[in-house]
Amino acid sequence: MSAAQAYLATLLVLTLIAQAAVPSLRVVIVVSGAALSCLLVTLLGIGSTHQLMAELPWDVLILLVGLGLLSEIFASSRLFGLVAVRIARLSQAQPRRLLIYFSIGMYLVSGLVNNLTALLLVLPILHILLKLMSFPQRYVSWLLGVLLVACNLGGAATPIGDFPAILLLSSGRMTFVDYLQRAAPPTVLALIGLLALVIGLVRPQRSVDREALTSRLSVEIMGRMYRGVHLDRRRFVPAALLLLIMLLCWTLLPAESGISAELVCWLGVAAALLINRRYGEDLLRTRVDIEAVLFLLSLFVMVAAVRHSGLFSTLSQSLARLPLSPPGQLAVFLLVAGVLTGLFSAGPSMAGLLEVAHALARHLPPHVVYVGLALSVCAGSSLFLTAATSGPMAQALTERAKLCDSQGRPLHFGFMEFLPIGVLSFTVIQSIALLYGWWFSR
Amino acid sequence: MTKLSSALTQSFSVAAMELGFCSAAWLFAEQVAAYGGDAQVHAMRDALGRTYPVLDAVCAAWLDGERQPVIDTKAVVAALQGAKKAVIVGFESSFLDALLPQLHDIEVHLLSNGTVDEQTWHRMLSNFDKRVCSVDLVSFQRLVGSHTAILCMVYGATEHAVHVPPTWLRLFGDDVRAQFRSFVGWNVLRRSMYVYPRWLVEVPRQDFTRIV
Repeated sequence: MSAAQAYLATLLVLTLIAQAAVPSLRVVIVVSGAALSCLLVTLLGIGSTHQLMAELPWDVLILLVGLGLLSEIFASSRLFGLVAVRIARLSQAQPRRLLIYFSIGMYLVSGLVNNLTALLLVLPILHILLKLMSFPQRYVSWLLGVLLVACNLGGAATPIGDFPAILLLSSGRMTFVDYLQRAAPPTVLALIGLLALVIGLVRPQRSVDREALTSRLSVEIMGRMYRGVHLDRRRFVPAALLLLIMLLCWTLLPAESGISAELVCWLGVAAALLINRRYGEDLLRTRVDIEAVLFLLSLFVMVAAVRHSGLFSTLSQSLARLPLSPPGQLAVFLLVAGVLTGLFSAGPSMAGLLEVAHALARHLPPHVVYVGLALSVCAGSSLFLTAATSGPMAQALTERAKLCDSQGRPLHFGFMEFLPIGVLSFTVIQSIALLYGWWFSR
Repeated sequence: MTKLSSALTQSFSVAAMELGFCSAAWLFAEQVAAYGGDAQVHAMRDALGRTYPVLDAVCAAWLDGERQPVIDTKAVVAALQGAKKAVIVGFESSFLDALLPQLHDIEVHLLSNGTVDEQTWHRMLSNFDKRVCSVDLVSFQRLVGSHTAILCMVYGATEHAVHVPPTWLRLFGDDVRAQFRSFVGWNVLRRSMYVYPRWLVEVPRQDFTRIV
């Protein structure tokens, strides 16, 4: 390893550790780390800030911002609230049904819009139901935990659901349809497996006292709380039509047309914002997730700096030199990807590991490497509550909701409460990732 | 019922916050009676009545044979006659659902009570489909004028006193009396409370221009 490689890699790792250790300062830490990377690259004479900026995947940022804005339009149509109330009614507030229906609902919603928006709108409604039912700590921990994992799985199922998949789509290594066809089935399998294990083995629903009156009252109260809330069709219909057109373009337009995924997204979202006129302008001015954009932008700068040093090539060569067959090397890579994501979160690990994945994809079918990587990143995101952005947000929202059990004891949803769910989910999803890699690389 | 009551207490607290004490109490009486008959309503009154006096009074009304709240919107509409704007103090979903369609030409503003967060408050208002606007204790001053009436939910009235939500105390004062057209109290409970009126405050009946 050269000195340049050592300096830049150390800076990247230290920055990632610092942002994970002090999450309240994570954006400042990563932005500062990126600035230092630019300085190091310049001083070491291996490139310039201009070069690093030119190499950034701007298309990923366009997709992230665009899809985030589209999610906001769907949110303002009250769609998510109504979906959550419908799920609550369908489940009749029965603990087992609640777990299954909400998990499936979150999986489907997260496949189309970003996890944060989906959670931000669905969790408050679920919290009302949890307050009305006064469920015990064990059940609440498992319910919220499984919902978070369902969000991660939904995000990994489609090319527009979450950042890692968006990065794959924009890199042009997999087409929209190809990713969807190959990634959706294993994520469905993982969700079914997880739900079966939770309901069949862990059985959090057994800790709940079955009270027909409480269930009946809770469903009735929820109905009254949403008695006059309707879907805002003026917001929903144009946004849904535009999303449909975008999906068709992503599916049907050939790569040779030059009309790339991010251009389709840009045009579609611009049209959706124009249709909403003043509200569209307000969204653009106030609701762009600048925190996520700055965080990812800075990470990309740091990864580009490390790439300039040639470290990723060195790592790929080291992986290729392992005394294992290509499927064996893939298994090692996927396991490392899962654990690294658990420690550093999806954005940083995906941005760095994709470079190594490209090298592996030369010896194995590309979809095996990329979908396996997306699944491993999903497994890692589900390992700790802090591994995905939606985790701390769910924790904050739950603490704010001040939930209590039937004895009036306050309920919590933090790192320790999530840990058993995280370990189980990681095991299930990572096993499926490894199985996928092994099966298709035979 | 004893085992049930601890969960029901929290349930009622959530329901009362979002639906209003009286509306939630009638819903509970109705559902509990459908589940276990009058004996269960009696048991609920014993278990929750002291904590929630409005629920206690509604259970008493139920056990006396009343089966639904008296919602006299005509009297309220008559009391607001001539006003172009109304500021409503206190939230009672069943009563507002019945009243708002009758207030054709009146611009309705609901005073936020500060007991729920902003997101919940907006969700509560979205049930009225833009028919009402939200106003707080600072911004309600812009509605001052002889065309604006104040309508407050009242929980039982005697010859000298009435029980109202605590927000009333922060809105009403001698200086405010002269700034509005009228102060109408809508008696949504229509019977006296038997236990100490927690969550509410007692004010003189003469604070109001009219009680309906």
